[in-house]
Amino acid sequence: MPELLIRNGYVFDPLNGIEGEGMDVAVKDGKIVERVGRKARVLDASGMTVMPGGVDIHSHIAGSKANCARMMRPEDHSRDPEVKTKYARSGVGHTIPSVFTTGYRYARMGYTTVFEPATPPLTTRHTHEELNDIPIIDKGCFPLFGNNWFVMEYVKQGRIEELAAYVAWMLEATKGYAIKIVNPGGIEAWRWGRNLRHLDDTVPNFDVTPREIVKALCQVNKLLDLPHAVHIHPNGLSEPGNYQTTLDTMECARDFRREGRPAMHVTHVQFTGRKGWSWADVRSGAPEIADYVNTHDHVTIDPGQLIFTNVTWMTADGPAMFALFKLAKTKWFNADVESETGAGIVSATYKKSNYVNAMQWGIALELALLVKDPWKIYLTTDHPNGGPFTSYPRVISWLVSNHARQKLIDKINKTAKRRLNLPGIDREYSLYEIATITRAATAKSLGLECKGHLGLGADADIAIYDIDPTKLDPAREYRIVRRAFAHAAYTLKEGRIVVKKGEVVRSVRGRTFWTKPKVSEDIKKTMMADLQSKFDDYYTVRMANYPIEERYLTASQAITTNAGV
Amino acid sequence: MADLAITPVRQFKIPVTAECISPDFVAGKSLRETELTQVWEGNRKVKLGSLFKVAGEIGRTPNDCAIKIAGNVSAVRRIGYEMSGGSIQINGEAGMYLGERMKAGTITVTGNAGSWLGTQMRGGQIDVKGNAGDSIGGSVRGGTKGMRGGTITIHGDCGTEAGAWMQNGMIRVRGACDLYAGIHMKNGTIVVERGCQGRVGAQMTGGKVIVLGNAGGVLPSFQFEEIRERAKAGDEKIPGPFYVFSGDVNEGGKGQLFARVSDNPDLKLNERYLER
Amino acid sequence: MPKATLQDVLCTFCASGCDNLEITYDGRIIDSARNGCAISVSRFTTSDKSRLLKPLVRKAGKLRPTTFARAVDRAARILNNAKYPLLYGWSQTSCEAISKGIELTELVGGLIDNTTTSCHGPTILGVQDAGEATSTLGEIRHSADLVIYWGCNPVHSHPRHTNRFTVFSKGRFRKTRKDRKLIVVDVRQTDTAKLADRFIQVQPNGDYELLTALRTAINGEQIEQETIAGVPVETVEEIADMMMECEFGALFFGLGLTMTAGKHRNTEAALALVKDLNFVTKFVIVPMRGWFNVAGANEVSTWQTGYPYAVDLSQGYPRFNPGDTSAIDAITRGEVDAALVVASDPVSHFPREAVKHLLKIPIIVLEPKRTPTSEAAEVVIPSAILGVEAAGTIYRIDGVALEAKKVIDPPIGVRPDVETLDTIIRRVKKLGARR
Repeated sequence: MPELLIRNGYVFDPLNGIEGEGMDVAVKDGKIVERVGRKARVLDASGMTVMPGGVDIHSHIAGSKANCARMMRPEDHSRDPEVKTKYARSGVGHTIPSVFTTGYRYARMGYTTVFEPATPPLTTRHTHEELNDIPIIDKGCFPLFGNNWFVMEYVKQGRIEELAAYVAWMLEATKGYAIKIVNPGGIEAWRWGRNLRHLDDTVPNFDVTPREIVKALCQVNKLLDLPHAVHIHPNGLSEPGNYQTTLDTMECARDFRREGRPAMHVTHVQFTGRKGWSWADVRSGAPEIADYVNTHDHVTIDPGQLIFTNVTWMTADGPAMFALFKLAKTKWFNADVESETGAGIVSATYKKSNYVNAMQWGIALELALLVKDPWKIYLTTDHPNGGPFTSYPRVISWLVSNHARQKLIDKINKTAKRRLNLPGIDREYSLYEIATITRAATAKSLGLECKGHLGLGADADIAIYDIDPTKLDPAREYRIVRRAFAHAAYTLKEGRIVVKKGEVVRSVRGRTFWTKPKVSEDIKKTMMADLQSKFDDYYTVRMANYPIEERYLTASQAITTNAGV
Repeated sequence: MADLAITPVRQFKIPVTAECISPDFVAGKSLRETELTQVWEGNRKVKLGSLFKVAGEIGRTPNDCAIKIAGNVSAVRRIGYEMSGGSIQINGEAGMYLGERMKAGTITVTGNAGSWLGTQMRGGQIDVKGNAGDSIGGSVRGGTKGMRGGTITIHGDCGTEAGAWMQNGMIRVRGACDLYAGIHMKNGTIVVERGCQGRVGAQMTGGKVIVLGNAGGVLPSFQFEEIRERAKAGDEKIPGPFYVFSGDVNEGGKGQLFARVSDNPDLKLNERYLER
Repeated sequence: MPKATLQDVLCTFCASGCDNLEITYDGRIIDSARNGCAISVSRFTTSDKSRLLKPLVRKAGKLRPTTFARAVDRAARILNNAKYPLLYGWSQTSCEAISKGIELTELVGGLIDNTTTSCHGPTILGVQDAGEATSTLGEIRHSADLVIYWGCNPVHSHPRHTNRFTVFSKGRFRKTRKDRKLIVVDVRQTDTAKLADRFIQVQPNGDYELLTALRTAINGEQIEQETIAGVPVETVEEIADMMMECEFGALFFGLGLTMTAGKHRNTEAALALVKDLNFVTKFVIVPMRGWFNVAGANEVSTWQTGYPYAVDLSQGYPRFNPGDTSAIDAITRGEVDAALVVASDPVSHFPREAVKHLLKIPIIVLEPKRTPTSEAAEVVIPSAILGVEAAGTIYRIDGVALEAKKVIDPPIGVRPDVETLDTIIRRVKKLGARR
């Protein structure tokens, strides 16, 4: 690959402490290097902001529930088609874009790595087929463990080592990246049309509690030394007041912190950050949750920012979706997955005039503004549940500009305006902090050492935005900020220019990251004997056909860890 | 009114998509500009002028434009798309999606019209002398919003699902309707003069369907209310008497189905509910 | 050559996805196929019958053998010259091949449709209005105490269905036949109906009324009719009670709903019925997909274009509207001027009016065996049989992806569809695709 020199840009590289310094960035063979030769191609970034490519830690872009949503919502697509160009395949948006469009739209915003946060192991072959087809970005997926029969049985028996061996086997079998938990135990209860509300409720027929499941998997995460924390969507999502469950869930992970690394990441906290007894009087639980995050080091969060628009709710949390469908009265899709988990999809529209919607919008922003350390909170909209990922620039504009927020606060439901803390918060994010929550912190949280920064040896995934930080006041000129982040001046993927002035000029193939924890042969043997004895009873596919071969991934990138079992 | 004659030069087989055949598009343009406008013929982009002879005058605003099409344009889609004034007259057969999202103005067809006529219409008038296809005045795939204003009149018969997801407005079919007239209807009025195939008003939540001629039975999700002497359709009072049903109970619906007594002897059994 | 045995082989016939077959073979001869149904035995052991072995091109009215390169060239030219080509079939080939098919359709600016259009298309349209409450098949095996087969006959169409997934299967919470009740709804007493605890005979084309009546009963409303589609109202109420009182119900349906009067409204009513039931108990619905990868055709089409079938890419972006962009309708109106058919036989299965028009245009066929469609073609390129001679991904009835294995080599010179399509794509590009 030819050498490239990005000259004269203002670099924001929080992982390396670089805050808007005017400097050059040198690229060779797809990596950041110290310097390049005189024959290197030069990209003039004068007057522009240079950041590592965006890293999205949680976005539902691929797999069977995403595809069921696409199939169910042709009306979502017909209003937002993408015409084929010389460099780009055709496709459709809007809340659930087709795969080619997904990759291009992320790249246009300067994002270069995205993770699908919830995939049922049994259908993860499908997830990888879609991930393979998403152009440009690097990717990975998180298999679901919180309602898995083998998991619950090991937890009941207290056999943590075998559980660890099972999780290790599953990550390799599914080519998955991290442990994902959604509504632990609750989706198994949904087999019978029920749900679980509290951490100490008992899962029917399995005699374990969500608390036990969560703690065991946090312990396993530590034993296997996985690159990411346990990624969790807590119980209680469809309850009006559920913030206490979120706090209790965070407490579960306290004993499992690792050296300098959190044990748990709680996702889209806006959905489980409400106080109150009924929908008519929900309040914000953001101050309590932010306070917890501020005073504890074992947990990180992302808000799942809500956008006032038409959205698609899409989650493994089947029972929560049914509960919310009963309120929304729109289209509902549900798909339970044998012995493992489930999925629910509902179409919905968030309105400023709606009290609950306005509160949720406010709670998400409060979380982002009250958590003090930008290394503990990441920018997401839980795409497409809070809003489409193409709304990220809008969210950025609200974070950098109190004025932008207040303008919208004046338009929301009046009671919500009164009850939210948000109107009184005037904190404004700096560009450095934005770089942190959209790339540096997320890459660090995922344990991706080659991403999210521009230090030597990093992947040359770079975003250049048309913002001159020495001249621009983001708080006043938030519209410019929004436009700049929506249409990157340049996006580079491993040193190749893929986007220029917000348009795709080249399509490349990204890699799929997955983890491969190595456990001892003895414990693996014991676990495999258990698995083999029960597999045909639990599943309707053969065990030999369940694992996904590495050759399935168009470009595989395994991360090996040495487990403590 | 400036008359613009757009005449097909031959019978089209390969589908043509020509949204530009609409007062809003041509208004203020020259004949030459109109001829040079690109339209789709299958997967080829061609000039409108290669498929149609364009002659006459073009008005300055949509309201000043009267487009006249003589010939078979059944393969031409999206004529009159989103028009907000003026008129289109088709002397011949019309294609699919005619008058989609129309806001105002008039469209008349002397022959038959295709399916998806007046999809998501908001205002204006469409008048078809012949038959029409399926889903007139309806919604897009997967959507829940059908026409919300304006009037569609079909002098012949129409296909299935007339007025699907209708939000408001008026549909008048002087002939007969196939299955599912008024399916998922929310509001508005549909009048059918020569009977329906059946399943009228399926899953409706509001609005009314008035059927002269045999209604093809009533769904088990409808409940008999009363006999009424007349049925109101806009300003008109249509003489009955009519059996009146409400439904669809499975959608919590408050829609109404009027079936003229004299044409629906198969519904006579319902009269036993009158004593209640 | 020594005999070899391959375990855990997936059968590629119906969409049940039975993947525990044991195949014994000797070079290219398959001796036996164990653990599957009789159809699977035939699928594997008679795979060599009636094969197309050489590429063919029509010259002076007759199909004559030619080279692969020439056949590809002719195919590429036909597609490039067409103004509205149709690429059809797809349900009996791999997802990888389907992906190439979509790429090719976008390149030449045409219509891509699969056999869903004449079988479960109405199901998808129903889902687009009503949503769907479903599950994978294992959930039903474990939990269902009430099973309903409506308008389908699995004893014949999916012979192992009842053994693997429903009344004769062994689940975690339901272990024997006694633990389940079976209701069959059909217009006549089929072999599946003979297994039922309750058989409900519905008048032909009366399913919509019956489904509506069940919904009315389940929603606690009064039915004001004495019989509905030939079924007495007391029976309707009894069935409704059975549905509401079960712990976990599963409704399977087939062409009896999708292809009778009402079509997508029938399926919508069934989907809405199951949705209503979820307010009372736990219930799921699963369509009985026919061909082994029709579900895969929908999946790939949806993730790549946004739409599951009947996708029009002629204007450079995906459009979807069955009735307009669907194969049979477009052909019948005489709009299609060339066709590529993969693993399907429309000349045998399409309505007569459509076949009349189909026979007037140049057809390119990718197919393992001689069919009436291949006999009518301009270009024929023989295919390796997926799951026997070629590997690839398929999707089962319930959307679980599985890998079909390559057991034996295809006949010499016969290629998997994915390779043939890739070659056609390269040739089209070389000739200068218009887009």
